[in-house]
Amino acid sequence: MLSVRNLVKHYRVHRRRPGLLPALASVFRRRYTVVRAVDGISFEIGAGERVGFLGPNGAGKTTTLKMLAGLLHPTSGEISVAGHVPFRRERDFLRSIMLVTGQKQQLLWDLPPAETFELNRAVYEIPRDEYRRTLAELVDLLDLGDLIHKPTRQLSLGERMKCELAAALLHRPRVLFLDEPTIGLDVTMQAAVRDFIREYNERHGATVLLTSHYMDDVAALAPRVIVIDRGRLIYDGSLENLVRQIRPDKRVTFRLEGPLPPVEWARFGASVVAQDEARIQLQVHGGRLRELVSWALGQLPVADLVVEDPPLEEVLSELFARRHEEGE
Amino acid sequence: MLRYLRLFGIQLRTSALLGMQYRLDFVLDALMTLFWTASSLVPLVVLFHQRSDIGGWSWPQALLVVGFFTVLRGVIEGAIQPALQNVVELVRKGMLDFLLLKPADSQFLVSTSRFEIWRGVDVLAGALILVWALVELEHVPTPLQALSSLALLCGAVVILYSIWIAVVALALRVVKVDNLTYFFSSVFEAARWPAPVYRGALNFVFTFVIPLIVMTSYPALAIVGELEGRAIFFSLAGALVFALAARLVWLRALRSYTSAGG
Repeated sequence: MLSVRNLVKHYRVHRRRPGLLPALASVFRRRYTVVRAVDGISFEIGAGERVGFLGPNGAGKTTTLKMLAGLLHPTSGEISVAGHVPFRRERDFLRSIMLVTGQKQQLLWDLPPAETFELNRAVYEIPRDEYRRTLAELVDLLDLGDLIHKPTRQLSLGERMKCELAAALLHRPRVLFLDEPTIGLDVTMQAAVRDFIREYNERHGATVLLTSHYMDDVAALAPRVIVIDRGRLIYDGSLENLVRQIRPDKRVTFRLEGPLPPVEWARFGASVVAQDEARIQLQVHGGRLRELVSWALGQLPVADLVVEDPPLEEVLSELFARRHEEGE
Repeated sequence: MLRYLRLFGIQLRTSALLGMQYRLDFVLDALMTLFWTASSLVPLVVLFHQRSDIGGWSWPQALLVVGFFTVLRGVIEGAIQPALQNVVELVRKGMLDFLLLKPADSQFLVSTSRFEIWRGVDVLAGALILVWALVELEHVPTPLQALSSLALLCGAVVILYSIWIAVVALALRVVKVDNLTYFFSSVFEAARWPAPVYRGALNFVFTFVIPLIVMTSYPALAIVGELEGRAIFFSLAGALVFALAARLVWLRALRSYTSAGG
């Protein structure tokens, strides 16, 4: 469905030092530096897959997404999306993709979303019947109700995002590019958007590539992740594997019914992450988890326990930190 | 073709809806437009109070030029300039992406993205001035004269549009083109005067580079049958060249478009 080979995008950026004189100098003589936003990445995504695209700010995620959507010309390399070369922007290609960006909107600000929908119906040449059916389904799935007839400027951020999604899906694209779709939304709305994306993917077999800063999004939506850093691909595989590879530890939290006697946690190879009167959280290698838990259940006043993977944020920051240490 | 006509209709409808969101603006803008049109006649009236002709052009002939000028200004302010300003805005906010992702010609979508319909008042006012001038001249244009001046007017719209789209293309790269639009508006003001006002280098510039003379003086000459067929032909051919050049500039600009943010 989607294949990328040796993709490269370099920008020529005009650099200057701060201050009036350097600014003046730069009017006459400009110094350019080349920024390697994307520096030779390759991957393939099958039809119907949901893939999370991760990386720190400025890693080249959005640039890659924009090249995949045909907005930017690659400096070199090959891209094929749904059998098309994106930057040729053929009509069939544009009809088979969509791009939703959390920070930007296509809805007309002063008019109700329904008007933008109508505009899209005309541009995408969606037959009336099909349009009506799709819209009804989206209104239902996204729980839009009467929102689509209110002026966009009166909608909340979350309501607007749901309408953005509807506007972008009216033509039933087969490939969904989502750039930070849940940015700024509250937790409930984030979950609603996430559920919707998964539901849509399962119903229509659409391929989903998403970037997000919220690791919950990625954990909930993307069984597979592609991680890039400084324009290079550093991991491509299952999320589970990534976590196991970087941080094989588990987090165990015990809720306590009574005071905790002093314990030598080091003999389980464990360390304390957080502790208060009623709770203690430990970090322990996956291989010794069983040993530690069964001992604690026998010896300590444990009321309840929870075992989790370390937060994805930590896994990733460790991954990037390691790479940077290695002088990469 | 039919599809683009339909799209044009939808875009126009959306702009009308937007315009009607703010009713007071709508009325005030229409009134302001009429006021400016009326006041734009003042210099001409003052001038002809002192003398009987400008470089051989009589008062009603000069009025014809003002008529065509007013119609064109209506088109610029009603259709061309709003779209341009909208695009500049979209580029700045990085929202042009959405427009470029639509499966229709991007230049078409950009060009029809915003109309300010009340400015159409100027087109009507210009037409009235033309009728007034023809009455003063006691001249009824033959079908051929009417047709050729209409063709020249269309050519003028094409040229203006081409210059603007080139400016928009520039907006994809430099983002801040507001000053350029002011510059162009003030240069365009020169189109209200008949050709003989401009001599030497200025005449050359306004005929071949920014062909203001071709836009307003030529149709004014054609409607009274005083323009050679050759001039009409070359003007229309020129308009075509402008359109093709604008298309090329647009396609090139798209290639180097870098989008905003991230």
